[in-house]
Amino acid sequence: MSRDNDDIAGPLGDQLARLFAKTVTREALVAAEHNVFDAALWNEISEIGAALALAAESVGGAGLAWAQADGLLQLLGSQLPPVPLGETMLAAWVLGLAGIEAPAAPLAVAGALLQIDGDGCVSGDDALVSWAPQAQVIVAVAQGAGARQLVLLSTLDAELTPQRTLDRLPAARARFRGARPLQAVAAPAVLGETGLLAPLAVLRALQLAGSLSQVLALCIDYANTRSQFGKTIGKFQAIQHQIAELAELSAAAQVAAGYAARQLDGGDAAAAERGAAVAKIRAAASATRGAAIAHQVFGAIGTTDEHLLHYHTRRLWQWRDEAGSDGWWAERLGRQALAAGAAALWTGITASAP
Amino acid sequence: MSTAFHYPAFEIPRELDGLRREVRAFLAEASQGWSGWDIGHSWTGFDRAFSREVGRRGWIGMTWPRAYGGHERSALERYVVVEEMLAAGAPVGAHWVGDRQSGPLMLRIGSEAQKQRFLPKIASGEAAFCIGLSEPGSGSDLASLRSRATRVDGGWKLNGRKIWTTYASDCDFMIGLFRSQGTAEVDKHKGLSQYLIDLQSSGLEIRPIVDLTGEAHFNEIVFDDVFVPDESLVGRENEGWAQANAELAFERSGPDRYMSSFPLLPLSIDAVHAAGTADRLSARRIGEALADVVTLREMSLSILGQLAAGHMPAQEAALTKDLGTSFEQRLPELVREITDNAPVITEGDTLSEMQAYLVQSVPSYSLRGGTREIMRGIIARGLGLR
Ligand SMILES: Cc1cc2nc3c(=O)[nH]c(=O)nc-3n(C[C@H](O)[C@H](O)[C@H](O)COP(=O)(O)OP(=O)(O)OC[C@H]3O[C@@H](n4cnc5c(N)ncnc54)[C@H](O)[C@@H]3O)c2cc1C
Repeated sequence: MSRDNDDIAGPLGDQLARLFAKTVTREALVAAEHNVFDAALWNEISEIGAALALAAESVGGAGLAWAQADGLLQLLGSQLPPVPLGETMLAAWVLGLAGIEAPAAPLAVAGALLQIDGDGCVSGDDALVSWAPQAQVIVAVAQGAGARQLVLLSTLDAELTPQRTLDRLPAARARFRGARPLQAVAAPAVLGETGLLAPLAVLRALQLAGSLSQVLALCIDYANTRSQFGKTIGKFQAIQHQIAELAELSAAAQVAAGYAARQLDGGDAAAAERGAAVAKIRAAASATRGAAIAHQVFGAIGTTDEHLLHYHTRRLWQWRDEAGSDGWWAERLGRQALAAGAAALWTGITASAP
Repeated sequence: MSTAFHYPAFEIPRELDGLRREVRAFLAEASQGWSGWDIGHSWTGFDRAFSREVGRRGWIGMTWPRAYGGHERSALERYVVVEEMLAAGAPVGAHWVGDRQSGPLMLRIGSEAQKQRFLPKIASGEAAFCIGLSEPGSGSDLASLRSRATRVDGGWKLNGRKIWTTYASDCDFMIGLFRSQGTAEVDKHKGLSQYLIDLQSSGLEIRPIVDLTGEAHFNEIVFDDVFVPDESLVGRENEGWAQANAELAFERSGPDRYMSSFPLLPLSIDAVHAAGTADRLSARRIGEALADVVTLREMSLSILGQLAAGHMPAQEAALTKDLGTSFEQRLPELVREITDNAPVITEGDTLSEMQAYLVQSVPSYSLRGGTREIMRGIIARGLGLR
């Protein structure tokens, strides 16, 4: 995590933003919902080197920290490139931590913890793996006797049941029954009890934050353009205050997701999981209220297929529940707080010795 | 990406754990006699002896120059002390305004004589300050204020009324905003000046106002030809509006805008255990609150970092204040959701006392320091609406 990396993250983000602005058209979004993989976009992304942005330099990556790539990952939510770039970046990151070079292909990530037996065969079930139908490889964590293993699994060895989702992007339930992993190594220390669910939740939180910031920009633009009663609706205080609230929700999601990114970089599993919980709870709550505000501001036109708003709001509704919903993470975080007791609450928040 | 607001990360380094432990140890001792009702007051609890002790330990005016009684410590060190005080619900009210607002204002724009005279007294916990902005006819529309400063030989004569002035009856000094030129109707925010007023001055009458909890912490103040000398002008004549607004960025951005009811949260954990209801509902509610606290703390620290770097993050301060006060207002409701306590105030039962006080005081959190509607108006303007 050197200073130079900030100099990489900036230009890489700019390049991606330009690429997405050019390629993520309405047609591209529609095609993705019909299971057409955007190979041209993926090739351009690969050429830029974005897929390996978070992977260690020793395995051919750019070695960016999550905190440095924070803005870049938010682009995935603000510009909605319909490819598994976030998942692939995450997978390449975790593989890099384990000293493995990521396969040069779109990768899917299973958040659920699988099992690995004494013979090294993997079993288990993940109810929802985004992009699994279009990926050749799924990265997962499997619990063995004592140790957790990071495993690369071929989608050919999985029983995939495609799932319909609110974002209409490729996703499947993935079942493994004694699948032999392509590779298996000890899981990196930053992955705790929840395995890959924590970093996946951070990725979703960053995407939610990115989407909310774009929804905010769309709302501001619309409020300053749409006229009723002889003035732009942005002149009505009721609309102003709703958009102000949306800005608050968007800021909170952004800050919480950025916090979680830093906890992942810290390398401590408990802190990373806590960061993931905070980010997912906050970003999902922001998404819930934020989507409602956006639709209120846009009136009827915002509810149409023709309008672009739903490409954001359907993802907000999808992502808030993926990789653990806000309720799920809140329950986990709350149970930990209850178990630790009242005295540990503030010391935990300040991350300091009692 | 989004340029509407900016929250760069700002972290407290581990080196400050020692200071944190020192403050905690002090508070563990000092808090022995505090009731739930007391703790509920948080930074509006007024206790001069406590403030003097905090001053003696060097925890007021921490960042100010030594020449003015300060301690030349970092903004982060001050933040650690302040957030520990708030987490414990310590009665910091007697030095709060001076330390947070009046002192920094004087340091920025006060005269040398003002700095020498007042800053050491604030830092030692001896001089308590209050803020004289609101008037009976001017709340949110502060620029419509009518209380007037008239030039006389050697100074000004002040006439008019201030209201809602927190702890005026217990304080020593006020920094008040008065119209020094023109009229409210025509000139609005032009022609306002800030004065440093000794509350013992003759012609000044302070009338306590009892609030709905039964206590009198705010006051109405009548100014009848109150003379203030030349040297009491703060900053520049007729520049009071801009000065007071800059001051508000400090007032709106601190941890006191999200932690006022924080002590309820650990108590609710105890309560849930005692009642045997550590169930899914209570876990979820506590988990949500925890996520909010962590996020708000990050936001508040980020603003601190920006202020320390000399920026004026007014937009972020308004945004964070509105989120923060909503969170503070939520906590007593959270307690209701996860406990089934009867609405009685039982002496010695910390939770029942604190809950009772806070249920009655949280409505004011989105009024004081600028109302929720005013915050949202500021945010909307910053976003380019209107
Ligand atoms: C506990 C407490 C302590 C205080 N301490 C101090 C102090 O020490 N010094 C001091 O000077 N003042 C103090 N105040 C006063 C505080 O600053 C004012 O209450 C606040 O500015 C609002 O003014 P107001 O109460 O007159 O309400 P009003 O301004 O009359 O507002 C009433 C309602 O109308 C809404 N409203 C007003 N204008 C608009 C608008 N343009 N758009 C939409 N809605 C609007 C408000 O948001 C509010 O909901 C304190 C207040 C409280 C509650």
